[in-house]
Amino acid sequence: MNASLLRAQIEEKLPSAFTVYGRKERGSIPTGISQIDNAVQGVPLHALTEICGSNLASSGKTSVLTSLLAQASRDHFCALVDAGDSFDPGSGQAAGIYLPRLLWVRCGKSRVKLPPLEQAFKVADILLQSSGFGLIAVDLSGIPERVVRKVPLSSWFRFSRVIEKQPAALVFIEQEPHATSCAGLVLRVSAEPAVFSGNLLTQFNLKVEVVRGQEKKPVRSKRSGFSLQTQWA
Amino acid sequence: MFACLYVVDFPVQASLLAERAEVREALMQSPLAILDGPANLPRVVATNHAARRAGIQIGMTKLQVETYGGVLLRKRIVEAEDLAQTLLVQFAGGFSPRVESTCAGMVILDLARTEKLFGSPRSTAHKIPANAAAIGFDLRVAIASNPDTAFHAARGFSAITIIPAGDEAMRLAPLHVGVLPISPEMLGVLDGWGIHTFQSLAALPTIAVVERLGQEGLYLQKLARGQIDRPLLTAEPAAEFVETFEFDDPVETLESLFFILNRLLQQLCSNLVSGSLATNELRLKLCLEVRQSQSGQDGEQYEHDWKLPIPTQDKNLLFSLVRLHLEQTTFSAPIRKLTIEVVPVKPRLAQGNLFAPPSPEPEKLEMTLERIRGIVGNADVDGTDCVGSPRLVDTHKPGSFTVQHFSSVDETNNSSPAFVPSIALRVIRPAIETSVELDGEKPHFVWLWHRHRRVLAASGPWSSSGNWWNASAWTREEWDVALKTPAGLGYYRIYRDRIRKQWFVEGVFD
Repeated sequence: MNASLLRAQIEEKLPSAFTVYGRKERGSIPTGISQIDNAVQGVPLHALTEICGSNLASSGKTSVLTSLLAQASRDHFCALVDAGDSFDPGSGQAAGIYLPRLLWVRCGKSRVKLPPLEQAFKVADILLQSSGFGLIAVDLSGIPERVVRKVPLSSWFRFSRVIEKQPAALVFIEQEPHATSCAGLVLRVSAEPAVFSGNLLTQFNLKVEVVRGQEKKPVRSKRSGFSLQTQWA
Repeated sequence: MFACLYVVDFPVQASLLAERAEVREALMQSPLAILDGPANLPRVVATNHAARRAGIQIGMTKLQVETYGGVLLRKRIVEAEDLAQTLLVQFAGGFSPRVESTCAGMVILDLARTEKLFGSPRSTAHKIPANAAAIGFDLRVAIASNPDTAFHAARGFSAITIIPAGDEAMRLAPLHVGVLPISPEMLGVLDGWGIHTFQSLAALPTIAVVERLGQEGLYLQKLARGQIDRPLLTAEPAAEFVETFEFDDPVETLESLFFILNRLLQQLCSNLVSGSLATNELRLKLCLEVRQSQSGQDGEQYEHDWKLPIPTQDKNLLFSLVRLHLEQTTFSAPIRKLTIEVVPVKPRLAQGNLFAPPSPEPEKLEMTLERIRGIVGNADVDGTDCVGSPRLVDTHKPGSFTVQHFSSVDETNNSSPAFVPSIALRVIRPAIETSVELDGEKPHFVWLWHRHRRVLAASGPWSSSGNWWNASAWTREEWDVALKTPAGLGYYRIYRDRIRKQWFVEGVFD
């Protein structure tokens, strides 16, 4: 039996057995912070991204998200699923978010008995089903870490498979990364002591570490630092 | 061709419409006068042929008429005349879709392109009085090439008149000028000149008529010649897009409600489609079955409105919106009556902008938002929406915002200037009440996350206040402080409410 005959017989039973799936050309949305964009070329479309940072201490994760939303809202409609209702529209507008193109979903605010985490996941699911949003951000950093840790890996896997087929970026803001290999990009953000000019808080020095990029864990994580001014500085 | 239907002695016929056919016939044969005016001095405003033959004239008082004897007197009822006019318009609508309600007892209809249904204008002219007699009208019919000629022919000639195109002036010639819509002054002038008929008015030199009688005289002369051609002012029926259903027994399950709701929406959407319309607003009203309360009210109502960003005719979309909302609503009593209304608007004909950013489909988006509201709820305890687009309120009070309806129909240009990334505030809602130990004016220790935390650096105080002129006055003193937390340095915004004399943690710079 020659190879071609064997191949034909296999393909008869498994039509796509020998199909080679080339890696798609994936676009990205810049974060607006040059140090991050230089390191990872922005937040990838068709992939799940995690931006992590401490919830008690100032880490800079919300600022990165705000800057990303500002960039994305220029060309796309965006959705922010806010599990902890912690988004500040004033900071958002100052950072350049085009608010009419932002759908803000505030979880856990009404008398609905569903826990905020479950609400956020269900809403994210609905938003993923209704295409048209260029960026879907889910802020889970207000949810205690011990609760988020219990989310089964199958949920993250499902999100990563659904977003794969859509020209959108799915970004989770958390205290710690949880999606493991389901995430296309994982950034960890932390802060160094801020700068006071006299009596005025003027500048935050932040560090970003690329924990996972290009859909695989790098041999050595990349680290870079950047500074963000306060609105009044 | 145009047909004019003229109900002779309209007030008389209108007053008899409610009678049976035999009674009506008998009354029309006997003298009958319609009275109107003040109760102490009513006067005759309309008579039938028998009354005129008996000598009754318009304007006679009731007392004068009563001296004749055997004359039946009836009071004029305006509502009956309005009803009769509506009936006449509806009757004419059976012969043509274009009907003008010209005046009381007169309608003009356009007979163009009705030949296949009713035959030639002549046969139509004969069918109309026969059909009208069945509903109680005694009609005169005139058919002409323009509405005004038909109007004057119907008023001036009895029974059926058909005027072929081109013969208007000749056929109208014997009519008296009083048939024209003419003022008494003008009629007096023409009478003084010895002009009594259409023929004599039409024969006058046009320029001389304009010189002496102005544009009004010219208009009357053209009418007399049958030369005025105008479009019909058709009476469009007022379309109502409301459907109501009252249950025999109040329903307790949504399935029963949805079954009826689906049918009503189907009907409404069919009406919209047939009228080339769409809707961008849906109103639902449910009457609940509640036992009579002490206040005397015998029920309560539940109402909800939906406003759509773009008009739609899609029944499934409207039904899904209502279904999703009702599924998350709890009613205090069974539902007795259901009313649903759609506001008709012109459908969206424009194509989407090719250069606009990709956006969620507006029709699908409404359903998506409704499903999300079903999960997170409609509004928080303050009444602010949980789902929508944030908007800053034009006030100096920090943290003031509203949430508006999110729409993917982006009609504005994003002309925001180039932005510079800046540090964002992560807000704690509601702000945490806390206690602060001061060192002089500066915060020294802040109670946060179950323990006192030393303030390593502080920026402030930043004072602001507003609304001092009303009950919602506020005044605060802000500090940006660096605190040591288990996870590292945290830069928090704290403030002191000067009215409540209480410290709060507003958020963290993150």
